[in-house]
Amino acid sequence: MTWTYQPAADLDQPMIERLRRFPREPDMTVYALRSLAALVLRGWLRLYHRLEIAGRERLPDGGSFVLVANHASHLDALCLLAALPLRALHRAFPAAAEDYFFRSVPRTAFAAIVVNALPFGRKTHIRQSLALCRRLLDNPGNILILFPEGTRTATGAVGPFKPGIGLLLAGTDIPALPCRLSGSFEAWPRGRRLPRPRRVRLQIGEPRRFAAFPAGAASADAVAEALRAAVLALPA
Amino acid sequence: MSPHAAIGSEIFRTYALILAAVLAVAGLALAVLRGIFRRDVASVWTTYRSWLVMAPLALAALFAGRAAAIVFFCLLGGLGFKEFARATGLYRDWWMTGAVYLGIAAVGATSFVRHPSGLEPGTGWLGLFVALPVYVVALIFLIPIVRNRTEGQLQNLSLAIVGFAYFGWMFGHLAFLTNATNAYGYLLFLLFATEINDVAAFTFGRLFGRHPFRSRISPKKTWEGAAGALAVSLALPWLLRFSFPPPAGARELLLAGLVVGVGGQLGDLAISVIKRDLGVKDMGAVLPGHGGILDRIDSLIYVAPLFFHLAGFLQPLRGP
Repeated sequence: MTWTYQPAADLDQPMIERLRRFPREPDMTVYALRSLAALVLRGWLRLYHRLEIAGRERLPDGGSFVLVANHASHLDALCLLAALPLRALHRAFPAAAEDYFFRSVPRTAFAAIVVNALPFGRKTHIRQSLALCRRLLDNPGNILILFPEGTRTATGAVGPFKPGIGLLLAGTDIPALPCRLSGSFEAWPRGRRLPRPRRVRLQIGEPRRFAAFPAGAASADAVAEALRAAVLALPA
Repeated sequence: MSPHAAIGSEIFRTYALILAAVLAVAGLALAVLRGIFRRDVASVWTTYRSWLVMAPLALAALFAGRAAAIVFFCLLGGLGFKEFARATGLYRDWWMTGAVYLGIAAVGATSFVRHPSGLEPGTGWLGLFVALPVYVVALIFLIPIVRNRTEGQLQNLSLAIVGFAYFGWMFGHLAFLTNATNAYGYLLFLLFATEINDVAAFTFGRLFGRHPFRSRISPKKTWEGAAGALAVSLALPWLLRFSFPPPAGARELLLAGLVVGVGGQLGDLAISVIKRDLGVKDMGAVLPGHGGILDRIDSLIYVAPLFFHLAGFLQPLRGP
């Protein structure tokens, strides 16, 4: 009989590097902190922002899927996470800008522990980041949360969707659920230090699949545009 | 143990002074080596800087009182086990790791409470503390049964049992020592002498090391280092004899020196056996210049229970 040991891949790295890498090794302490933070955040969103979530029944039961939303504030990822059942928490990964969320120690800790963010290199290595997203979705039961505008809106209007989302979804059978966030811009616009007590509403749309689109750059823009239209078509 | 008692304890105050002096002298020696003799001490410097954090932290935990010290030792044991679980892959099995953490919490609890019907003197429930491995092993065996699993279970439950017995329970004897009438003396001597033994083994090995000690387990350890460390450890109880309650004669001091000198090296080698078999260099990377927490507390794990029973053999650990 031989025993096979599988040491953690990040064994020789200090804690902060372990949080920066992706995929992260599962860690009981991190999971416990995340679950606790999720409860607190859900309570806070409900009380302070009167968060209202519609269309939860459209979330697929098994298999991986993508939530695609407009992006107006730092509340957005938290609202989308709050729409998911708690048991899916550790398998839901909001893509977050590596250059913003994974530089300083406190932001890294928050992004990795509380949000379970996937570090997305939107400026430096988009293709590797997309490949990472793809690998994630190849495993059943993972949820990817994407904001295809690539940044928070400065005006409150929904900006153009970057073609990356199209590269990820075109020619695949992965369901993408358009999500419309409203009120989050008024609650916490860019440049404000702290959020204001404004109502936030999240509407989840019907899943869409893009298997009919040929994979590759050619249809990327079309998929991105279709998803943007689907988000805008949802009631605000 | 309490902040008030710590201030009033001559033993505690003496150790605080000794510690400050040793750290100051070591820092000065390194500065001289670097500044005057132009020796490259960068790696030792990193190790030294970590000591500057760890030593006051341990002292502060003992100063803060019995409850804080118990929490401190259980946290250390728990973090040590976590490193072991991450290195072996056991950490993927949350049931097993959860059971071990529960066991470590029980180590803390039995160290903290009194015997429910007052059959034992003072604080701590020694009877249950000593019997804990029975219950934790029973709990660990329950897991595959409850989950109705067999595949890989022998490996996981063996690792969990080693994890609890070694890192939780054996190391946890430090937590129970907080109940000793002579808690400051025993704990401070134990921590100080064991770490000095480690440093002595390293230093003698560096200076005079020629003959490998256990070549396949730890190629850097030498007979010269081991002998030097043993000599230092045999001398320390005499220098620090105020740590032991009277009447501590030659026999007691010799035994204390042997436990630390021999046990310390064995503890170090025990972790090395685990690391070699797993093929990892360090058990973690929390402590710059040391590696993981286990790389630092490895000797203590082996020494703590031996010293505990030696102390109890010398005279009753706890008063009424």
